[in-house]
Amino acid sequence: MEFGFSPEEDAFRQKVRQFLRDHPPENYPEDGMDADYGSGAHSHAFMEAMGERGFLSMTWPKAFGGQERPFMFKLILLEELASAGAPFGPLGGCDQTAAAIIQYGSLRLQQELLPLIARGKATFWQGFSEPNAGTDLLSLQTAAVRDGDDYVINGHKIWSSHAGISKYGLVIARTNPHVPRHKGLSMLVVASDTPGLDIRPIRSLTGGIYHYEVFMENVHVPKDYLLGTEDEGFIQLLGGLDTDRFWGRFYKAPYLRRLLEQLVDYANTTKRNGRLLAHDPIIRQKLAGFATEIEALRMMFYRNGWLIKEGLPTPYESALNKLYADETGQHLTAFGIELLGMYGPVKAGSRWAKLHGAMSHAYQTSLGHTIAGGTSEVLRTTVATRGLGLPREQRS
Amino acid sequence: MDFSLTEPQELLLRTARDLFQQHCPTTLVQELALSDRGFADDLWRRIAELGWAGLMISETFGGSDGSLLDIVLLMEQMGYACFPSPYLQSAMVCTSILLSAGSTAQQQRLLPPMARGERICTLAILEESASFAPEAIALAGDLGSRLNGAKLFVKDAHIADDLLIVARSGHGFNLLLLESATPGVSLQPVEVISDEKLFEVAFNDVPVSEAMLIGPAGGGWGPLATALQIGALARCAEIVGGAQRILDICSDYAKIREQSGRPIGAFQAIQHHCADLLRRVEASRGLLYNAAWRSQEGLCDSAAAIATAKAYAHDAGLWVARKGHQIMGAIGYCEEHPLHLFHKRIQAASLDFGDAAMHFESVAQSIGLVAME
Repeated sequence: MEFGFSPEEDAFRQKVRQFLRDHPPENYPEDGMDADYGSGAHSHAFMEAMGERGFLSMTWPKAFGGQERPFMFKLILLEELASAGAPFGPLGGCDQTAAAIIQYGSLRLQQELLPLIARGKATFWQGFSEPNAGTDLLSLQTAAVRDGDDYVINGHKIWSSHAGISKYGLVIARTNPHVPRHKGLSMLVVASDTPGLDIRPIRSLTGGIYHYEVFMENVHVPKDYLLGTEDEGFIQLLGGLDTDRFWGRFYKAPYLRRLLEQLVDYANTTKRNGRLLAHDPIIRQKLAGFATEIEALRMMFYRNGWLIKEGLPTPYESALNKLYADETGQHLTAFGIELLGMYGPVKAGSRWAKLHGAMSHAYQTSLGHTIAGGTSEVLRTTVATRGLGLPREQRS
Repeated sequence: MDFSLTEPQELLLRTARDLFQQHCPTTLVQELALSDRGFADDLWRRIAELGWAGLMISETFGGSDGSLLDIVLLMEQMGYACFPSPYLQSAMVCTSILLSAGSTAQQQRLLPPMARGERICTLAILEESASFAPEAIALAGDLGSRLNGAKLFVKDAHIADDLLIVARSGHGFNLLLLESATPGVSLQPVEVISDEKLFEVAFNDVPVSEAMLIGPAGGGWGPLATALQIGALARCAEIVGGAQRILDICSDYAKIREQSGRPIGAFQAIQHHCADLLRRVEASRGLLYNAAWRSQEGLCDSAAAIATAKAYAHDAGLWVARKGHQIMGAIGYCEEHPLHLFHKRIQAASLDFGDAAMHFESVAQSIGLVAME
């Protein structure tokens, strides 16, 4: 066991920090809302700057234009970006899509999309959930029918993050209705400007727009934009969802650490009833408690990453770590609001906002985290059955 | 970052698991818990033969020269078995003090028999104030004076050959090694709910000689502080092992115990409790190994890492224990069932070498909260 970093890894970390000094996150306009997962806002310009620096294709094989840098570099990159509050929201989706295209994509997809992803010029939305297919994703109804050199998609997707500002979507659709429901699904890449797509924003309880719903009416997609094998999309999706949970949450520990540091600063500099908040033993113990949780989370995610790097199975780890990250985030932001007192709910932009209104925003978004990408309930069941071998509950 | 074990560590782990599984069943732990002595001489000899009593000690003094991570892995297995022994106090805490502060002559005299398991030493630090803070120690032990007073919660004093006493000397502290059979030393058991054997050790006019002194006069707190950290780390490992055992007991039981026509583990309420147990066990273990590694490497943040691990394990271990009782239902309430042994051991370990409040305060300072006036 060894929990340090190699000199090469430390040197890379310094390079990322230098990049962040050269590209201060606050200088980048926010194209899409920060949902407080740790990856910040959606900024096209920042993605392009990262692309220029080679950060977006860092771990890809050289044959696909990548640099074959070690896996650990990616973890370091994410940790540093999140610690700095950088607006790299689309990165996770880009990484996942690029990995799938490299593994399953047609030559055409590889040639057309990978260079765009590498330069930060293509970001992605996911068309998985439907109004009647949430946790029970397999009940999805969207259909794709082969028509000459195209697939024709009809259906209705929902909770697609940043669909209105992303160039492409990944849509899972039923290509064969005559087989059991976990078979006969396929994954398709869909350009957002394809005729027949109607992408409508959903205003979330924060007042901002993060999710969209996507109506698809006779949407033609070239057959080469099928990602993988027809009718085998669900198997791919399952693999993808698990790593999604890891990559979509790895940066949450450094992000929560950043929030915690803001609360520590606030407690150190704010008096209530004539006493520094930092001198209240209950506040001290609470903040220290969160520090231990966040550190535990960080270690669990690094172990998770190490298992993936070594090619070892992770039957439950990503599910466990995701739910732990999201519940810790909810607890921390709830406490953060409490610590700020009446200032807690004040919105960003108000002259009375503390910590730039970050806590009131993070408190609200945290409510969605334990639902998106697998509810905590489903994930606990996954952990119990796949991690501990408990019997599966009988399903109707 | 590398989470794998070395081959010798794998071997150590396997050997420990097999040994305790075979020779330290929970029935034995229960039997020892109910006995006055609470010590399995033969098992102690056996682990000494394996070189474990001398794992911290270098080969020159008859030890087996292990790393701190090795010892933490072993300690975790001891927690998993609820192995009752003076290992933590003798082979870790007191050994650490002798290694860092003992003179060569003292090391030559004491360490080889300790490595062979033939000599057992225990730490006598706490007093009625029950605090590990320096200001809580009142017993005076100046050279040339006499010890009069008592130490409390001294673990395994009844089987210890030597007591390592922390005593006040001027503005500092003396670490005094005293044979427990010395006239003027008397023991009174402090009965606790766990299987551990704790004592009040009273001193009546026991002369303090220079020969008893470990380290410089008045300069005992430095080596003691390091040893207290090792004690906290070891207790943390014990908690992690015990919590893992409770998780195993509960998930095994949930697979076979049937109610309403199906295993209780098929009910989501039980599944979700078990998932939460796993989460706390894994979180505690991650912090433990990180702290052990940082400490082994002598990194400047190792004290904070140990405090983080111990504070977290305190809450997590006890949570696991209580939720374990909920999962096990009525059978877990019986003395015959081993669950309570692990629960009470976790509780003992949580409080020893700094409770959660003490370690959370260290964490509070490490994250930059301004110090209390």
